[in-house]
Amino acid sequence: MVASLFTGCAKKAAPVKTLVYGTTEKVTDMDPASAYDFHTWEIFYNIYQGLLGYPPGETNIVPALAASYTPNDKGDEFTFKLRKGLKFSDGSPFNAQAVKWSIDRVMALKGDPSWLVTDYVKEVTVIDDLTVKFTLNGPVAYFPAVAATVPYYPVSPNVYPVDKIVRDITELKGGKLVGLGAYEAVSFKRDQEVVLEANKNYYGSKPLVPRIIIRYFADATTMRLALEKGEIDLAYKTMNPSDIKDLSKNANFTTYKLSGPYIRYLCFETSESVFKDKRLRQAIAALINRPEIVEKVYLGQNEPLYSMVPKGMIYHTEEFKTVLGDGNLALAEKLLKEAGFTAKKPFKFDLWYTPSHYGDTEVNLAEVMKAQIEKTPAIKVNIKSAEWATYKDQWKAKQMPVFLLGWYPDYIDPDNYTAAFAGTAGSKGMGINFSKPEWDALFTKEQTNTDSTARQQVFEQVQKMWTDEVPTAPIFQGNLFVFTKKNVLDVKIGPTLQFLYNVLRFAE
Amino acid sequence: MDRREARGAARFSPAAGAARLIAGFALAHKKYGAEWWILIAGALIVLFVIYTALFPSTLAPYDPSDQSAGPQLSAPAARHPLGTDNLSRDVLSRVIFGSQTILGVAFAAAIVSSLIGIPLGLFSGFLGGFLDRALSLVMDSVYSFPGLILAIAFAAMLGPGVVNITLAVAVIYIPTYFRLVRGQTLTIKEEVYVEAARAIGARRWTIIGRYIFPNVIATVVVVFSLNIADAIMTEAALSYIGLGLPAGIPDWGMDLAMGKKFLPSGTWWMITFPGLMIMILALGFTMLGEGLAEILNPRLLEK
Amino acid sequence: MKNLLRYLITRVLLTVPMLLILLTLVFVVLRVMPGDPVSAMLGAHAPERVIEQKKEELGLNRPILAQYLSYLSQLARFDLGDSMIFKQRVSQPIVEKLPATLELTLVGMFFTLLIGIPLGAFAASRRRSSRDFAIRLYGNVVYCMPVYWMGLMLQLVFGVWLDWLPISGRTGSRAMPSLFERTGFYVLDTLLAGDLAACGDVLLHLFLPSLTLGIVLSGIFVRLTRANMLDVLKSDFILATRARGLPERLVVYRHALKNAFIPILTMLGLQFAILLAGAILTESTFSWPGMGRLLLERIYLRDYPTIQGVIVVFAVFVSLVSLLVDLIYAAVDPRIKY
Repeated sequence: MVASLFTGCAKKAAPVKTLVYGTTEKVTDMDPASAYDFHTWEIFYNIYQGLLGYPPGETNIVPALAASYTPNDKGDEFTFKLRKGLKFSDGSPFNAQAVKWSIDRVMALKGDPSWLVTDYVKEVTVIDDLTVKFTLNGPVAYFPAVAATVPYYPVSPNVYPVDKIVRDITELKGGKLVGLGAYEAVSFKRDQEVVLEANKNYYGSKPLVPRIIIRYFADATTMRLALEKGEIDLAYKTMNPSDIKDLSKNANFTTYKLSGPYIRYLCFETSESVFKDKRLRQAIAALINRPEIVEKVYLGQNEPLYSMVPKGMIYHTEEFKTVLGDGNLALAEKLLKEAGFTAKKPFKFDLWYTPSHYGDTEVNLAEVMKAQIEKTPAIKVNIKSAEWATYKDQWKAKQMPVFLLGWYPDYIDPDNYTAAFAGTAGSKGMGINFSKPEWDALFTKEQTNTDSTARQQVFEQVQKMWTDEVPTAPIFQGNLFVFTKKNVLDVKIGPTLQFLYNVLRFAE
Repeated sequence: MDRREARGAARFSPAAGAARLIAGFALAHKKYGAEWWILIAGALIVLFVIYTALFPSTLAPYDPSDQSAGPQLSAPAARHPLGTDNLSRDVLSRVIFGSQTILGVAFAAAIVSSLIGIPLGLFSGFLGGFLDRALSLVMDSVYSFPGLILAIAFAAMLGPGVVNITLAVAVIYIPTYFRLVRGQTLTIKEEVYVEAARAIGARRWTIIGRYIFPNVIATVVVVFSLNIADAIMTEAALSYIGLGLPAGIPDWGMDLAMGKKFLPSGTWWMITFPGLMIMILALGFTMLGEGLAEILNPRLLEK
Repeated sequence: MKNLLRYLITRVLLTVPMLLILLTLVFVVLRVMPGDPVSAMLGAHAPERVIEQKKEELGLNRPILAQYLSYLSQLARFDLGDSMIFKQRVSQPIVEKLPATLELTLVGMFFTLLIGIPLGAFAASRRRSSRDFAIRLYGNVVYCMPVYWMGLMLQLVFGVWLDWLPISGRTGSRAMPSLFERTGFYVLDTLLAGDLAACGDVLLHLFLPSLTLGIVLSGIFVRLTRANMLDVLKSDFILATRARGLPERLVVYRHALKNAFIPILTMLGLQFAILLAGAILTESTFSWPGMGRLLLERIYLRDYPTIQGVIVVFAVFVSLVSLLVDLIYAAVDPRIKY
């Protein structure tokens, strides 16, 4: 043992170009069948691949692991031809059997994102080693976008257990993450750091930065200081608004502002809670003062949102602004009175938020909303919080009458912002439990119809109906900020919010 | 009661004890110099903060939850002597009302601890035997454990809320009172006058009530003060890491955690004042306790 | 000597019931907890049947006494169980992160001694002077200062404004701990690997967090040192040295301090508990990947077995240190008779 102490000497690190990426996010489960959060998906985008994908920063779908795909006439069968000669990073071959195995596994394990598969796919058939056919439940206009999401990412049968969700890398056979992406994860220390190195077997454009270390910070303030000191090269999610303001003005750093499809909203439990009465939901939605929230809590760095479909996406309208307004005290009090609540007999309820999942500002958001809602003496709000894991549990158990939530798109289509909350199946999973047959009929119509005029009509109608039933109340549309040192280039994140690391590079 | 016993009892009546305390103060000034000033300074701080906790509205210019008290994130100036926070609330008002929360929890916790620890210590020390040994073992074990960690575990399990936090903080100080009172009881128990009292047939309760308890009180007051100082730090730490009270109640620890986020931007007032207040209040109680200790029994704290 | 041996054995044996009491306390606290851990773990998609099955598997349906006994028997085998959230042994993250906390605590202790002892000795030698008063004030102020506030101030001053020292993590961003990591004590590991540059980097990263910890504890230490020194300075032995005509400085700093040293060191052992508590707060401020951060992260995730495991490890450490301290004190202090 003493000998080994001395022979293990002088193993100095060879100077490999490394980019250090700081974040306050957390990795959840290392399993595409179960992870359903922004950051873990981002890691999967880079260490695994889907059959289809997006070029960095773009929104058009391009082939990835599949070289091509062909839908049938009806649009309910998609046949994918896989790229030849691909191997997983441990050398085992990638083929149609692996694809079928992975999809079947996702459907069987019923994890949180599995609905993205089970809602659309009836079964997967292997035609030959390089051809696989997806038979859908019915025609779906935007299936390629759905097929590009993480639950469809093939994983190696040699490494993932077929019957269990993998939370941690130690549960994998061989103890290593084996994938087809541009990078491979060579080291994984939960909540501390993940080290990625360029994957030699990657079929696409080789990464320009050979090593990336993702460093996890407990605290956004420390992350800001670390960036300013040069301890990290890139910081993404989630800086505090005051730090964003300062760093944007700092000439030593490059600021990337990603506007778009990140939305924040209130969810109401519509089946059993005090918010069964839609007038109360309308009242709350009317009392929210979105411009004030954006100014006060986010220092103007986000934008008020008047529909669940964000601005910049097709078919977006602003019904909430015209129908319910901001800080509309008169309308709210009228509705409350109709529902039987006055200053003498106030409406009391708990407003829930989760303190760190959406950044440290969440408590301020809740406090400002409480003040806005309590502008009418006919309401008394109690603010409560729960950490993310408990939060999810509670909404599923219907323990929260109204709660703050956020959404990043799974795929770029208004359907992902509407059916996911008000369609019977999606609504149940989100703890909203809203279910109306006319709504489900409308969603089915837009999902199966490829004609854009027809879909536009449906979405405009749905957005209008939203201001009447208010299963959720949109609050603001978020901008995400990435800060890098001046010598880090090509941070290409588009409306899909997919961050691909293989195009990052250092200036010469 | 014959004359001898009466004289003995008189030494230990509560009246005598109080008289000694007051005489101690009066003479202390001459004898103790610096300690005297420490005590006075501590007492003044404590009394002032107690006043702000009891009558915050007389001092606070705004409602602490008023989100339109002034401009957002403005530095200390005439209208807002301690500045405004990120939700445009007046920091001075929040600091004043926050004293209610922290003092309330600390006091309540100290009272709960002492109400449990003191009787246990008295009886355990007095009765001795197996019960005493077992109880001492339990108390010593808990005492040796890092208090904050235990408080964190309790707070995490019980959840947020004033009562829960008070309990979480109270539990860790029970052994302190227990050990102190038990030790004192053991010492006094061996004194001659107690033996004498027992010899003439005085009942247990009489002995405890008349001889032991009054002597213990003086040291308990000292420890109570120091205990509150510690409870203040613990409550602030729990709030800081997010295991304290729910949002909405002005709290120094939470304001400190919130203010921390704005410090690198140059907003120093959000974090400095709550932090300073935690320190000053804890210091006040510490100085009060130490000053009292030096005056009543200079060797007490040098364990 | 026989008496000493008897005391030592008694003291060692006494550790067992003390530890047992602490472990029971931990068990009780964690079972009081509201909420259903299994639903949190499996997600509500899981049908009722599966949740019940999992509860059976984890033994949560058995009577409390049975759970308690199996908990104790597991611990006796050094088995901390499995995490409820991640498929890992509870011991795994603990073994990974314990050295980080210990390293921080040990270096923190060093700073406490470095600051506290000289100041305490000086204050004792100048009893009742204004300098004594000032030092005692320093002691009180520093102890009442929230450690996370001090940490942030130091980060700002030395890390950002002066840019002398790093403010987060155990190593610089470009260092590869996997190359030298062996025991988990990075200072030791880098020296063993012969990588002096890495060692310097590790030490720089240790500096601010342990200084923060050390300063806060030095407050208590100043008072304790001063009290002990005052005792020693009154003793006959010191009187004799003074009578011999030695300069005051030698009397205080060589003779008196030497005698007060052992009790002071044993006091450090007793303050270990406070150091561990402070370490938790320091770790979150400096993003230090130690047990404190692990505890907080797992509390948020409601991973009871890991929370329990962390607290058990803390309890064991505190018991061992306190035992060690008592033994040293007993063996070394000539004043105590058995």
